[in-house]
Parts: sequence; C-alpha cells; structure tokens
Amino acid sequence: MLLTKGIIASQKRKIIMLIIALSISAFMTLLFFSIINVGNIFASNTAVIKIDILQLILMSLMQASLTTILSLSAGIAIAWALNRLEFFGKNLVVSLFATAIVAPAMVVAFGLISVWGRAGWIAQLLEFFGLSWNFSIFGLGGILFAHTILNGAFAAHILLARVDAIPARKLKSAQSLALTPFKRFILLDWAAISGALPALGSIIFLLAFTSFPIVLMLGGGVANQTLEVAIYSAVRLSFDLDLAVKLSVIQLVLCMIIIFPAIISNSNLANAGVNYSYKWQQKGLAQFTQIIILVLAVFAFALPLLAILIDGIAGGILDTLSRPSFWQASFTSISIGSLSAILTLILAVLIATGRAAFSNGILKAILGLPVFAYLVIPAVVLSLGFYLLSNKLDIATSTSAPFVLIIANSLLALPFAIAILAPAIETINYRYDKLSRSLNLSSLMRWRIVEWPLIGREIGIVLALAFCFSLGDLGIISLFGTNEFTTLPYAMYQSLGVYRSNDAAVIAAFMLILCLMVFWFLPVIFRKISNAKN
Amino acid sequence: MSFRFLIFILTSLFLNLSAKAQDAASLNIYTYDSFASEWGPAPLLKEKFEKTCNCTINFIPNNSSIGALRKIQLDGERSDADILLGIDSSIAAEAKASGLFAKHNVDLSNIKLPANWKSDSFVPFDYGYFAFVYNKEKLPNPPASFEDLIASNIKIVIQDPRSSTTGLGLVLWLKSVYGESANKIWQQLKPNIITITKGWSESYNLFLKGEADMVLSYTTSPAYHLIAEQDNRFTAASFLEGHYMQIEVAGILQASKNKQLANEFLSWLISDEAQIIIPTSNWMYPVADVELPMGFEGLIQPKNALILVDDLVQKNSNIWIEEMLSAFN
Repeated sequence: MLLTKGIIASQKRKIIMLIIALSISAFMTLLFFSIINVGNIFASNTAVIKIDILQLILMSLMQASLTTILSLSAGIAIAWALNRLEFFGKNLVVSLFATAIVAPAMVVAFGLISVWGRAGWIAQLLEFFGLSWNFSIFGLGGILFAHTILNGAFAAHILLARVDAIPARKLKSAQSLALTPFKRFILLDWAAISGALPALGSIIFLLAFTSFPIVLMLGGGVANQTLEVAIYSAVRLSFDLDLAVKLSVIQLVLCMIIIFPAIISNSNLANAGVNYSYKWQQKGLAQFTQIIILVLAVFAFALPLLAILIDGIAGGILDTLSRPSFWQASFTSISIGSLSAILTLILAVLIATGRAAFSNGILKAILGLPVFAYLVIPAVVLSLGFYLLSNKLDIATSTSAPFVLIIANSLLALPFAIAILAPAIETINYRYDKLSRSLNLSSLMRWRIVEWPLIGREIGIVLALAFCFSLGDLGIISLFGTNEFTTLPYAMYQSLGVYRSNDAAVIAAFMLILCLMVFWFLPVIFRKISNAKN
Repeated sequence: MSFRFLIFILTSLFLNLSAKAQDAASLNIYTYDSFASEWGPAPLLKEKFEKTCNCTINFIPNNSSIGALRKIQLDGERSDADILLGIDSSIAAEAKASGLFAKHNVDLSNIKLPANWKSDSFVPFDYGYFAFVYNKEKLPNPPASFEDLIASNIKIVIQDPRSSTTGLGLVLWLKSVYGESANKIWQQLKPNIITITKGWSESYNLFLKGEADMVLSYTTSPAYHLIAEQDNRFTAASFLEGHYMQIEVAGILQASKNKQLANEFLSWLISDEAQIIIPTSNWMYPVADVELPMGFEGLIQPKNALILVDDLVQKNSNIWIEEMLSAFN
C-alpha cells in the first residue's frame, strides 16, 4: 500500500504522542518506586496516625464537586459578560482573571482575607457606617469561596478565548435572524465552550480534590480536609513512606476514574483559535445582567488581588528591592519559569497534535490520562521522589535542583496547557486534516502553515500560564531550596517564618505583577508574530 | 529563544549551585530555613566562628527542622551533614533512635535551662515557651488560663500538629497539664479555634491581619515587634497552668568526618560569645547567662516550665495527635 506523506505525518504525530504519554507514565512509576525502595528501610517505631480514608475521600469528593460546579458556572457567566461588553482596561481585567490560579494559593487566600475577613476591607467599611460584619470566611463556605475565586477566574479566561473565537459569519447570520440573548447563548456560545468544559472541569476538580494549605487554613478546623494532608503527615511526621505512596496511589486512581468519563466525552469541536473582531452587543436586560456580572466579578475576583498589591506597596518596597537576595531569587524564578514554559509548550503541542490525530475517543482519553496524573500526586511525594531519584542517579541535589524544578513545573502546567491548546488544535485537525493530507504536507510543514498561524494567541496563553505556574510553585522547591538556590515563593515563605510579613507581602505583590504583565503581553505578542507570518 | 541561550542559563544556574567551598576543614550544618536566612543567627555565627577556627561553616537550610532530619535519614551514608541543628526536644528521642547521631563531648554543666533536660547526643542551644500572643489594644482582658480561654469567646488560631512543631507543642502542653482529660479540654476548646493552619507562618499572618484575637506562638514573639519594629502592642498571655517549653538542640552525625571540629563548634555555640546573638536573631532565650537585650525584660516569665520526658513523647505523640484530631470530628 502506498502511504502518502500526509498520512505518514499523521502516524508520526500519533507515535510521538504515544511516546510522551508512556514516558510520563514511566517517569511517574520511577518516582514512586524510588520512594517505595527507601520506604522499607524506615520501619516506623512510632504509632502511625490512623485516618478515616473513606470519610476523607467523601469529604474531598463533595468539596471538589461543589468547587467544580461553582467555578465553571462563574467562569461561564464572566466569559459571557466579557465577550459582550467593551470597556477601557478590558485587557487588564482579562489578564487579572488569569493570574489568580497561578499565584501561590496561600497568597490568594491571604488576599481574600484582606478583603472579606473579620478585619478586612468590607468589615472596615461597614464599621465606618456603624454596621457589624458577621460573615466568617472559615469553614466549608470559605474553602468553596477561595477555590471558586482561584479557579473560576481561570475558567473565565479560558472560556472567553473560545467565545471570542466564534466566527464573524456565524454572528452575522445569528444577528440577521435576531436571536434572543438566550438563544444566542445556547446556539453559539454553548457550542463554543462546551468542548473546553470537560478538560477544564477535570483540572478544577483535581486541584480542589488535592488542595491542601487553603483547605486547612480556611477549613476552620481539621474536620474539613483532604487526603493530601494525611499524605503530608505520613511523609513528614511518621516518616512512613510506604503509606504515603499507598495513599498517593489511592488518590491517583480515584481521581483518574472520576475524570475519565469527562475526558472521553470531549467530542465537541471548538472554533479555531482566531479572534474575530466582530462585535455584536445586545442592549436591554441582557446587557444589564452582563454589567452586573462583571461588576460582581471584578469585586469578588479582582479585589483580593488588589489587596495583595496594596499590602505589597504598603510593605515597604524599597527595603525589599534593595536586597541582593531578592534579585537572586527573582533571577532564579524567572529563568526557571521561562525554561519550564518552553518545555511545557513543546510537550503540549506534541501531545495536542498527536491526540487530534486519533479518531478513537477512548484511546484518546486513555492516552490523555498521564497528562493529568501529576496534578494529583501530592507535591510532598513528588519532590521526595525527585529527591530520591536524584540520589540514586548519584547526582548532587544542588546540581539537579534546576532541572527538577523545570521538569516538575512543566509536568504540573501540562494539563492546563492541553486544556487551552487541545480544543483549538482538534478543530484545526477536523477542518484541515484532509486538505493537509491531500497536499502531502510533512509534519513540520503542516505545523508551520496550518496550526501555527491559527493558534498564536493560545501559544501565548500557554507560555504565560506555564511561566506563572512555575513562578508560584512552593511544593517542589521545598526539598531542593538552599541559600544559594531560592525562588521567589520560597523567599516569601521564608520571610513569613521570621516575622517579616512585610517582605512577604512585597514579594507576593511582585510575583503577581510579573504574572499580570506576562499574561497581558505574551498572548498579544504571539498572536501578532504568528499572524504576521500568515 | 536560541538553544545556545538555554545552555547559557542552565550552566550559569549550575555553576551558581556547585560553587560550594570544599575545604578539608569545613562543617556542614543542616538547619531550618529561618535559622539560616539572612535575618537569622546563621550569618553572624558563621562570621564569628570562622575567625577563630580556620575553617568554613556552611549552614544548609531546609524547610523545617524535621525536614532537615528527614533529608539526613534519606541520604543515609551519603549525607554530607556534620551537624543537625534546630530540631526541638519533642523529636530529639526519635532522632536519637535513628542511630544516626554520635555522642558529643560538650561540657553542658554551665547550661542554664529552666527545666531538667539532658542528652548525651544533643546539645541544647536555645529555648522558649509556647504561649498565646495577643494585641493589648484589641484584647484588654486576656485569659489567664486554659479554663478562662474556654469560658470566653476569644478566637484563637493554632497550627496542625502533623505539620508544625508549635502545633505539636500545644498537644504536649495540654497533655502535660491535663493528662488523661486532655481530650475533653480539646473538645471544650474547639469553639474558640477559628482555624488550624499548616504552619506557624500562616497562623501568625492571620493573627497580624486581625482574623484572630490570639495566636499560638512563643512568649518571646512580642520581643520581635518591640525590638525590630518598635511596636509595643503585642504581648503573650501568662497561663496559671504553666507554659510548655521548646528546647532547640543540635547533634553531631555519626557519619561526620569532622567530629572534632563539630564538637568545637557546639561548645562554642553555647558560649557567651555565640549565645548573645540568639535573642535578637532567633527570638528565643539563650542557654548561657548572657545579658538579655532591652525589651526582653518586659516579657512574661512562666512560673511553671512544663516539659514531658523525651521517651514518653516519642512513644505517644502520634496517639495524642490522634486524640486531638478526634476531638474535631
């Protein structure tokens, strides 16, 4: 049989994807095994803290499901409002929404408390008017609130990109049919965003299921907690590494089973990622609702971030900025962030194009699972695995630290990157696959003339996201950080540990500004570069 | 970005890291990060000791003292640690049981501790008392005992004993005061606890933000605000039952090739010259009879210093933690 170049290219893409999926799984197994091997040596002589795993799982399931529903609902509503409304500073608001998920969770939680807490802005404002503030941010409500702020804003950012990509011709014909706002939403917007929902929902679910510092801090007690804290205590306190691995595997398998149906159902096609500038605003009740949603969203989502910035400025910027240690940490963070962003992009593009080449939904989903797996492995286990692996390979941990950070952060950002790229690449594949094959395009050629010009903006978002994700990491660095090798979040946490909460506030604000800039500019720059070549 | 630039960044990171001094006479001291930070005691200790010893001191920070111990355990024979500095008395017994530590030959006869604590493996170098810290302006009538606290509607923030040494400290504190009925006290205390955080840092920040009336910390915490920030609003509540002690200790690794130098360092660490650094850098009490800086005289002085025997703590701490957790379910 004669295979044309186009078919070979498609086969190649599948094979590359297969290799990456297998490598990630193998790598993960290797990490687990290096822990189990050592785990046997430390037969713990103290009693292991008993935990009710079933109860923890049920609690986590409930919390994570509620978080997912709330975050997606908020994300859809905000994306809807942002798509319709035009106002000064819109780009800044959109960038701001993206930064919540990548800032260290603890920073965002403190921002929330600055606004909503007992002594927060709202309480102070009400007190000024002689009213009292009895809302408590602690408890299940607080957890859900914080998680929705973190994830909802991110969901809005991703979904907005999909809605913005609805082709002008569709909008024009819908406009000529005078669709009601509701019909327009169902027929156009829903069709555009529903393809992105399963992956997005899965990520949010996994993040919520494994959330640890937020759940503990805002939970109001140990009643609200996740498996993650049990795993942490197994590693740190009882030093029962086998138990830690066992619990991690339980968490991993459970989470994969839960998100599997969502990933399979990912059959809806999105629109290709070009941002059509055609605007069709609707007046009346719809617009009024949109404005209300946007005002509420800015109030709920932007205020906590604003609080972080203000706390940072009030913290005495100059003193912190005059420290060499601050600039050293910044240099390390920015280098690691840039490199892991590039690695994330490469992996994500290869996986997304490979996935698109598969027509079998279940096979596609199975191959997609390893991508999500790293999100579910507790950072404490992940960093332990990397540490032991590095020991086993006889590499000094001080030498392996930057590589470990780059790889680990890329793997953690990968599911987000796929969620952004996959729907667009899938659509491009659906539209142009036959054409590319008939033109006998090689993989590289096809990438350059078909995909690249259409997904510039997505590439910018992926790079920005992976960069900020790596910037905010506080989990992996904890076992690898030294005085000479310190990242910004590590420096921030260190400052908090020596009463220097002002320094911590400045560093948090700096990280937030950095993310904001990156999210603001990268997508625009990449859209320009890619379109210019078209 | 070009490939060459990638290589440049990677190698510069790499060189930056591997530029550690590897003299014959060097001492690697594993400790927790705030001790080793630029504001902690490490820079001054290093500078002063290196003047006398013709050696190099490397303080190697870890995210916590338990983290440092775990790293040494994981590294086993490969570990380059000579000294582990900063684990507290409540995990000293567990550390000793690991068999990784050598006996020291430091003369501890001049050490000044409010409670009797002895070990042939570990040298105590500072201590403090757990206490609830509050803002005098916001809380004019602080509780004077756990019973007072339970009877009040004062909101406190504490730490999870599974991830934090201060959190574990409160478990031991209640155990040493109430013994068998500690479980009951936990249940009664529950309504006062606004939340439980992973570490001390989060708790303290919540307290500073005004979310809680009191925070589980140390009697010496107010000294930081007074001395470093000229802020006299903070103080610790003195409890009639007494205050549980935290003694920070350092031990020499069996695998160390510089045991002699390590012993010299630990002997020096408890000398007046080194101890005078501790109060305003680690915000703990020194174990030598040095003059305390201005500001320390105003701190509360617990009449009853509580501490449980190491072995008892090692055998039971997880059972007690479980007991505490069950009070919250």
